[in-house]
Amino acid sequence: MALDFAFLLDFRWVLLKGLWTTLQFVTLALVIGLVWGFVLSLFRTSSNWVIYSLSTIYVEFFRGTPVLIQLFWIFFCLPLFLDVNLSDFTSVVIALSLYSGAITSESFRAALKSIESSQHDACIALGLPPTVRTLFVILPQAVLRAIPNLLSNVVSLFKESALVSAVGMADLMYVGQNIANNVARPVEILTAVALIYFAIGFPLTRAVSFVEARLLKVVKA
Amino acid sequence: MAFVEINNLIKRYGSLTIFDGFDLTMSSTDRLVLIGPSGCGKSTLLRCMMGLEDIAGGTISLGGDPYITGAERGKMTLDKTVQKEVGMVFQHYTLFPHLSVLGNLCLAPMRSRGMGKSDAQDKAMELLKRFGLGDRAKFYPSQLSGGQKQRVAIARALMLDPKLMLFDEVTSALDPELVKEVEQTMMELAEAGMPMMIVTHDMHFARNIATQVVFQERGKVIEAAAPNDLFGNPKQDRTRDFLKNVLNIEG
Repeated sequence: MALDFAFLLDFRWVLLKGLWTTLQFVTLALVIGLVWGFVLSLFRTSSNWVIYSLSTIYVEFFRGTPVLIQLFWIFFCLPLFLDVNLSDFTSVVIALSLYSGAITSESFRAALKSIESSQHDACIALGLPPTVRTLFVILPQAVLRAIPNLLSNVVSLFKESALVSAVGMADLMYVGQNIANNVARPVEILTAVALIYFAIGFPLTRAVSFVEARLLKVVKA
Repeated sequence: MAFVEINNLIKRYGSLTIFDGFDLTMSSTDRLVLIGPSGCGKSTLLRCMMGLEDIAGGTISLGGDPYITGAERGKMTLDKTVQKEVGMVFQHYTLFPHLSVLGNLCLAPMRSRGMGKSDAQDKAMELLKRFGLGDRAKFYPSQLSGGQKQRVAIARALMLDPKLMLFDEVTSALDPELVKEVEQTMMELAEAGMPMMIVTHDMHFARNIATQVVFQERGKVIEAAAPNDLFGNPKQDRTRDFLKNVLNIEG
């Protein structure tokens, strides 16, 4: 089989546009998921039974079901329930934010739990009121400890975002498949798309290792 | 009236009883060292005095004020204004790893005592210089040796002008060559007249710093005496056995 990558140059702008769409909704979902995830992690460490249970069910549900089904559900079922018309882009951002919030909350929760009880002892011995304890001692350490995990989540979500092509969202994956079908050259096109994902994903994974090594030095006193 | 007074203290962890009616007094000129086999409740006693443990009965008083009163059911009552007059240093430093040395010292005075930033920093620098740590103010705990960390922890507690300092095995986690600098810092505090309660396994240091040594076993005071009497001429068989054991291991 003769491979010809040269023709891809004709499609470079379409592919880049697909990548741009991917980056847009992934970034939005990450930012919303980060805030939502932090709130969820606080809910999940709450002593209020109702708040704890509801947030736990939510998190376990989103962690325990395929992202693809979550996407389909938000795309096709949610508009029926709410009787609204959501744009594709909005639906994708909602679906991925809900999912990424559930994943993120677990990273925050693990970080909160990893803070030694002796830190709480020290706060009491220094007479720090509970709000000061949370804001100035526990929260900064939890965020620092969660950063490596949060970055891993970024990489995962970026890769899993290719699933949105299944609901007809014109992301990088969808554009690639379209071109492949039109020009009947799936090998070259899918290879190129994989390489584009890799070009973004690989530096991200390297960044995770780098940050992890440096942060752990600071946090483990 | 004694400076520190512990009356009929009861402390349990689930079904395990640590103290079942424990009494102890200390005067404001005392440096009381608690010794005894591990698991006898020495550290638990200091933690109770700091208000870190919920006690099931008895009272703990400072300067005549009973600031902790145990309750068999429900939570003990704790007077936070008196609790603030007690400072504590722990075995594992418990510095805040995300804050610099200066940040560690200034957090509590600024955030819970309403001290201004420049006042707090001035006071912190003064203390750090006094402990030979003036050049470490901008360092993070992870960049310090164990001995330096522990001296920072002592300085952090002193920022709040405690009337009583509790030291819970503060040299136990240190490499032998770092023990001395921490012990010297404590000796300096002792000379400045700070009342202290100290839990340690270092009998030599106990003898040097104490005005009063308490030998404790299974949640009871077995013998309390001046250091020379307790180490030189213990009255109780169990004190003698304990000292023979630890001094053999150490020697």
